[in-house]
Amino acid sequence: MVSGGESLQQSTDAAIVVDGVGKTFANGTRALGPVTLRIRQGEFVAVVGPSGCGKSTLLRLIAGLAEPSTGSVSLARALRDAGIGYVFQSPTLMPWASVERNVRLPLDLDGVPREQAADQVEHALAMVGLREFGQAYPRELSGGMQMRVSIARALVTRPRLLLMDEPFGALDEITRNRLDLDLSALCARENLTVMFVTHSIYEAAFLSSRVIVMSARPGRIAGDFAIEEPRARSDGYRHTPAFARINAQLSAALAAAMDEPEFVKAQVFS
Amino acid sequence: MNNRWTGVVAPVLVGMALLLAWQAWVTVYDVPAYIVPSPLNIFSTLVRDWGLLSGSLLVTLGVTFAALLAAVVLGAALSVVFVQSRLVEASLFPYAVILQVTPLVAIAPLIIIWVDDSRAALVICATVASIFPVITSTTIGLRSVDPGLLDLFRMHGASRTQTLLRLRAPSAAPYFFAGLRIAAALALIGAVVAEFVAGTGGTRSGLAYQILQAGLQLNIPRLFAALALITLTGIALFAAVTALSKLVLRRWHESELPRDP
Repeated sequence: MVSGGESLQQSTDAAIVVDGVGKTFANGTRALGPVTLRIRQGEFVAVVGPSGCGKSTLLRLIAGLAEPSTGSVSLARALRDAGIGYVFQSPTLMPWASVERNVRLPLDLDGVPREQAADQVEHALAMVGLREFGQAYPRELSGGMQMRVSIARALVTRPRLLLMDEPFGALDEITRNRLDLDLSALCARENLTVMFVTHSIYEAAFLSSRVIVMSARPGRIAGDFAIEEPRARSDGYRHTPAFARINAQLSAALAAAMDEPEFVKAQVFS
Repeated sequence: MNNRWTGVVAPVLVGMALLLAWQAWVTVYDVPAYIVPSPLNIFSTLVRDWGLLSGSLLVTLGVTFAALLAAVVLGAALSVVFVQSRLVEASLFPYAVILQVTPLVAIAPLIIIWVDDSRAALVICATVASIFPVITSTTIGLRSVDPGLLDLFRMHGASRTQTLLRLRAPSAAPYFFAGLRIAAALALIGAVVAEFVAGTGGTRSGLAYQILQAGLQLNIPRLFAALALITLTGIALFAAVTALSKLVLRRWHESELPRDP
């Protein structure tokens, strides 16, 4: 079933509205846009595209870490009030602090009382399966575990929106697949709205309910694909013909987007 | 071969071998004590003149510690100011460089003339000598912050003070301690140089004054004994700063983590 890109972008219950957003850096580099995008509450949106196409910039603009040169970004009130969880490309943990203190950091900065924070930290660590490692230091953990701590830190404030910037890019494939599985289950269970930047179309196809394909710099939306397979998906989904077909089509769309910056296609995989 | 052997026993053995060779050379060639005294002669002088030398040692130690404390407090405070604004750093940093590149022996007489209290003058001289490594290392450290963590602090609306205390200061700790090791040695050197300058002007002070007096009186064993005390003080100071660095960084920073051989 194929539907037009407009129908995907015109939903009314938008959690995030990116309206004609462009970004030009101070040195004159046009990094992004213009990009127009509407994301619904509870959607898991993966963003794929060639290196330097502005995927991370788009995420930073949504997080409010940078100002758009043109256009605007708006978040639904419920998302804004609950705060944003942000997971970076590397774990970005404080090496001098224990896992518990690292996870508690956003609560400390928000001025949450210590007793209340302790419960939230324990809950966040339990969500990522690291309840026993609260007193460990980051260097004592594997790369995958450090990334779990980073996810726990992003979740500790109980945000409704999670922004993830190639979080598993530096991990080995087995660890990455395992974290993808856990993340998929966690986001479906908590009904989080997620925007997930990745270089891997396999990861995008496995995790998301929607995949945005971006063209080369300055990045624009070249494809918008909905994946109807229910979440959370099991490991077995990776071995289904449907998964292979989605990957093939995403791969073709990405290749086309590299050569042809205009909008390539919108499609629903069912 | 474990770390204890390589870190302590090996240099001690080398030192003992050198002392033995020195003692043998002086004894065999009958070198006069007013040219080069033997280690045993220096040691016996140290014991005999301990009353005189220990008083001077305390003066030198006092000047060194006061200067190091001032260098740490002023240097760290200046670094914090530099990090707040590139303009402030660009405006003030050249003057920190001027302080560093101007020879202490050239400005020490002026400081001693301008400052009435001789002890305060010595502390100022030693502070001038030792503050630069603290400023440069700490400034680099305060700037060397994980940009992702800075973004996280910004997202949560952290104040400048929160960012300084919770993020910049711990990030700067390894750099600060690297600067402190150099500053500790320079504080001692600065104190000794300033004491020399003050001593030539007739001001009685620490170990450098004893060296000066011993040289004038051709009491070379006492000169060496005072010199040995300065050397030992420098080693002890370096060891103390290293131990402090290890205490603070041992759980998380690569420079102080135990390594497999």
